[in-house]
Amino acid sequence: MKVLVVEDEHALRESILTYLQQEGYICESADNFRDASLKASDYSYVCVIVDLTLPGGSGLEIVRQLKENNPDTGIIIISAKNALDDKITGLEIGGDDYLTKPFHLSELNARLKSVIRRRNFSGQKTVQVGAIKVFPDAAEVSVCDKKLVLTKKEYDLLLYFIANRKRVLTKESIAEHLWGDHVDALDSLDFVYTHIKNLRRKLLTAGGEDYIQTVYGLGYKFSC
Amino acid sequence: MRILTKTSLYYLLVSFVVFLVGGFSFYKIMQAEIYDEVDDQLFTDKENIIAYIQEHNRLPNVTSGISEAIVVREAEAVSPTIEELADTLIFSNYDEEYIPFRYLTFTAYQNGNPYEYTILKSLIDFEDLFESTMLAMAWIFLLLLFGLGAVNYLINKYMWRHFYQMLYKVKRYSLSQHKPLQLKNSSTKEFQELKEVLMAMTEKIQSDYYNLKEFTENASHEIQTPLAIVNSKLELFMQSETLTQQQALLVEEMYASTNRLSRLNKSLILLTRIGNREFKEQEKVPLHELVVEQLEQLEEMASMRGLELLPPELESTYVYMNRGLAEVLVSNLLINAIRHNHEGGSIGVSLQKSMLCVWNTGEMLQGPADQLFGRFMSGNDTGGSLGIGLALVKKICDLYDMKPSYSYADGMHRLCICFSH
Repeated sequence: MKVLVVEDEHALRESILTYLQQEGYICESADNFRDASLKASDYSYVCVIVDLTLPGGSGLEIVRQLKENNPDTGIIIISAKNALDDKITGLEIGGDDYLTKPFHLSELNARLKSVIRRRNFSGQKTVQVGAIKVFPDAAEVSVCDKKLVLTKKEYDLLLYFIANRKRVLTKESIAEHLWGDHVDALDSLDFVYTHIKNLRRKLLTAGGEDYIQTVYGLGYKFSC
Repeated sequence: MRILTKTSLYYLLVSFVVFLVGGFSFYKIMQAEIYDEVDDQLFTDKENIIAYIQEHNRLPNVTSGISEAIVVREAEAVSPTIEELADTLIFSNYDEEYIPFRYLTFTAYQNGNPYEYTILKSLIDFEDLFESTMLAMAWIFLLLLFGLGAVNYLINKYMWRHFYQMLYKVKRYSLSQHKPLQLKNSSTKEFQELKEVLMAMTEKIQSDYYNLKEFTENASHEIQTPLAIVNSKLELFMQSETLTQQQALLVEEMYASTNRLSRLNKSLILLTRIGNREFKEQEKVPLHELVVEQLEQLEEMASMRGLELLPPELESTYVYMNRGLAEVLVSNLLINAIRHNHEGGSIGVSLQKSMLCVWNTGEMLQGPADQLFGRFMSGNDTGGSLGIGLALVKKICDLYDMKPSYSYADGMHRLCICFSH
């Protein structure tokens, strides 16, 4: 699966590329408007991750261009500006998702997976990981073909873990994924612990293994 | 007290004193003049009588003088009155009142016999004249007093008009309105100087303010990218399998700090952008629906803290504002109520046409209540709080002319937002 990363900040681009390559994507990158525009029109990608502020033009223009020529490509907009109007424009002209800098790489990865899933697996709508089967459209999960009853947050948490399999996920990034802007409101890190405890228990009772490991000092890792 | 009222009052006071003193002196002078005149007449009569006696060697006819009455009686030789000048009152049967008289008593000799003459002169005519003169004077004084007072008032008002215009404009001047202070020229030197000083001062303040604001904006925006880089590198670093436990802890602490920094930065940028009035898009926001939405999102957090959400009392209320900001406003109020609460406490929300109120149980505020809406005013027991939530609420209220208020009673914090329609 080919992904194009358009980001003018070298260090950040490298981080994104490294993380995504470790996930198994074939990545290409562009650091200015002209390059990005050329690559986007010459090759086809499953998803393009595009920064809005680029030397030589606006990322919105690339989004527009992609919508016209390659409507199947998923688009994730990243921007330092968290201007609401930019967000609206970006999503209106066809961006699939929007992330504000600074973001967690695991969050970007989860969004990327979700965009690709929504676009490519339009026929087959399940995600299978080990004994776990997820039906994203119905928001249902089964373990060993037994239906698992999860709360909305536990379901989101499970999907986030599956998207970032074998990756260390920090409590911060989990909290931000689950509660979004409300994350700094409360002691959400304790809540993360509670949710993970519940999810782990439910998976175990349903006959699954203990997929969620605690990584000392850092966070959690989902492996199966 | 207005300067016009004050000067007018002082003017009236001084005029009154001057007129009082002037009136009294005038009265005294006139009285002295009249007595002088009457006394002159009395002495003339006396001279005439004595001259008559000397010329004709007989007593004159009593009616021959200019006085009103001349009384003659034989005086005792032993103690003759040499000369006596005084006032007296004589009862007039006709007027049925005492009439003031001036009299001169003296002794004249005819053939060696003393005769006591008393020449009486009525003062009633003079008194009348005196009275009417004083009355006329009083009227003139009074008219002058008020006439001058009014003229003084009008002139002052005209003179101070530039000052009042300036005052009006300075009062309504606000840095965040992005409009320079415009003042009119004045022909009065002092006001012209005041105007120049004010203009120079506000210009300086404004440019300082813009510089500072620009710096803050740039700083906040430029910080985003390096932060994103640090964050991403730390995240990659964490994925490495070879981290020792100690290293892992260090990385995690760094990561937590940069996370906090980036959230703080986001909030500050939001604050700045609200201050810059960048959220121009407005719509009729159904506040009641928004409250329900936000309550649903926060329900979990409230229940995990063991808080009871009382059923909200919501009237359908529409407020014309930016939707995103409305969300920020409502969620910050609710989060505040959850955060500053205690285990097993409760939270209530009510929404009426003109007011949104959120109340919650909690301990009394440590600091003064008017600092509640300031930045970084978080209490002690709130680990992880940025202390910026209510500052955001205040900023949004300022933008839309809403009035936030706070009260505490019976262990309940109560925060209300009053909408102005």
